[in-house]
Amino acid sequence: MTINQNYSLVLQKVNHLSFEDRPKPVIVNETDVIVQILATGICGSDVHFYAHGCIGDFVVKKPLILGHESAGIVTKVGSEVTKVMVGDKICLEPGTPCHVCSLCLRGQYNHCAKMHFAAAPPVDGTLTKYFKIAETFCYKLPDNVSVDEGALMEPLSVAVHAVREAKITPGSSVVVFGAGPVGLLVAAVARNAYGASLTVIVDINEERLKFAKENFGVETYLSIKGRTAKEAGDNLVDVFDLNSERGFEFAIDATGVPYCIQSALYTLRPRGSFVQIGMGADNAELPISTICFHELNVRGSFRYNGGDFEQAVGLVARGIVDVKKLISSKVKFSQAKDAFEFVRQGKGLKTLISGPE
Amino acid sequence: MTVAGQNPSFVLKKVHEVSFEERPIPKLSGPRDVRIEIKQTGICGSDVHYYTHGAIGSFIVKSPMVLGHESAGVVAEAGSAVTSLKVGDRVALEPGIPCRYCDHCKAGFYNLCADMKFAATPPYDGTLCRYYVLPEDFCVKLPDTVSLEEGALIEPLSVAVHVSKLAKITPGSSAIVFGAGPVGLLCCAVAKAFGATTITAVDLVQARLDLAKEVAATHTFIPTRGDSAAESAAKIKELLGGKAPQFAIDASGAAASVNTAIHVLAQGGIYVQAGMGASEITFPITEFTIKELHAHGSFRYGPGDYQLAVELVASGRVDVKKLITHRVKFEDAEEAFKLVVKGQGVKILIGGPIV
Repeated sequence: MTINQNYSLVLQKVNHLSFEDRPKPVIVNETDVIVQILATGICGSDVHFYAHGCIGDFVVKKPLILGHESAGIVTKVGSEVTKVMVGDKICLEPGTPCHVCSLCLRGQYNHCAKMHFAAAPPVDGTLTKYFKIAETFCYKLPDNVSVDEGALMEPLSVAVHAVREAKITPGSSVVVFGAGPVGLLVAAVARNAYGASLTVIVDINEERLKFAKENFGVETYLSIKGRTAKEAGDNLVDVFDLNSERGFEFAIDATGVPYCIQSALYTLRPRGSFVQIGMGADNAELPISTICFHELNVRGSFRYNGGDFEQAVGLVARGIVDVKKLISSKVKFSQAKDAFEFVRQGKGLKTLISGPE
Repeated sequence: MTVAGQNPSFVLKKVHEVSFEERPIPKLSGPRDVRIEIKQTGICGSDVHYYTHGAIGSFIVKSPMVLGHESAGVVAEAGSAVTSLKVGDRVALEPGIPCRYCDHCKAGFYNLCADMKFAATPPYDGTLCRYYVLPEDFCVKLPDTVSLEEGALIEPLSVAVHVSKLAKITPGSSAIVFGAGPVGLLCCAVAKAFGATTITAVDLVQARLDLAKEVAATHTFIPTRGDSAAESAAKIKELLGGKAPQFAIDASGAAASVNTAIHVLAQGGIYVQAGMGASEITFPITEFTIKELHAHGSFRYGPGDYQLAVELVASGRVDVKKLITHRVKFEDAEEAFKLVVKGQGVKILIGGPIV
């Protein structure tokens, strides 16, 4: 297949990926930037669209380019662009809001009703050769940060946003449910950047926990079958010697699994804070009376907004969070279909796809 | 049943079995205590729940217990180190004594103290008696313009104040309150006092909603049986001209209310759980996550809540008298409980014993 203009990985319909040549994007507004994508991470949501064709109200109705966790090199800039230059290595914040509605003006642009988010149908994603992005959503990568690390900035920003929502404070105790990429990054940010004194990751997978301990220096807890969520929560508090404090100060769920959410709420001390990032079932049984009696603080966290990407880039540039450890493999663009199958089978941690050659 | 004596008390012996007993007049436990002669007591759902079930969660009535905790009275004795009150002062009682030394107490969250001694939460006796002892800092003096009847409403009003402070209700905002019982009604009133300009009350009973409108609500809504939470939420938004509220308070404990609240809230909105019902409910967690809602549990009241409640009544910004539907004498206290069990009335006051 000749690579003509803009080779892309397209989801035709459920389980059907193909390579297509698409028109090259051009500068439309003078604040636009054209970036040649060099690395893209695969996210659970990309795989979900691949396997199910929809997530909630987002339904794949026509062929869709996947991918949204990318980094690359600037190849063209509009005449008013000052933030980046041709040749700069950048990472992308892949959602464009309207900038003018009351939510955007309040800084809650992640909730803009007119958000155009890469790879959320019908907006095409970044698994392509060239992508157009507004300069405001380009973040220059310093010389010591690679494009591969740049592809991890999107999930790292999700983690940063959640930790900021939780308002984690130095010296605190934090428990994170889920040792997948987001859970690992949340734990790393809480511990390395926000000064948590005790950071525990909980998972059902012993290998992932071993990886977490060896690579991120966090404490771990293997969740076993046969315990109620309350028993699990109480046991966590006991094992980490927090009985006199009556529990953890912060709990974050990066699984979306109801049992984990319930356990998380039971690990918290009165007035503790819980943040929900993981998306799983629409509904979960929750111990509402515990939330009430213990005056728990419970928040949802969705994607990222003002300041999250900047903070993420800073954390990597200063060596505070090592995202390279999450990269389990990198494949050529031509192997992208296999990579999707690989991730779909639950293999690897973060699989990167190089940009088309 | 005789009520004469030094300290007649209304005692729950076991489920549905109450009696009047003579209890010793309590002594001051230290120089900062005051002894109050109780003049008015309101009954709360929790008092009635102990009467009908003998337990709330892990709090079980194992031995006879004096009921009541929403009281106002007159100071009858003041300890030697008491400076803010004197004999004859009329006060509202904040009837829970924390330990003062644990981490929660020192951080100002004394309502969450593990060693809290709360009136009429077993095993501690309540205030449906003649005399009750409290440290002076758990009594708030009532200005001359505030009656003892209004004083008995300060406790539930403080619950509403605590909820509204946690919600961080802002001027010009839209708030929705689920449940138009006393706490829900008072939450509407406090939301208005905090500046909310659109206040929607939700309940199944029209009469309660009529009172909500008199108190503070600008809009009322009765959910249609069979509608899902999302359907109810859509109807509420339509009622509000398409604008989703920023604040939601549940004062019902009902799963349907909690779910509707999550569906109706605007992005980034704040939800406060005050009502107590089932201990576990099905919760729309994905809707909650995507809208980045913020939920907070609320339990009783903390520093400054009683003082603000008295101030709201004294300044006329909240009229609690509207909630008082029945008044009974001390010797007829059980009648009051039976009325509440039948679902009648809003706030029923029991007078103090007359000896």
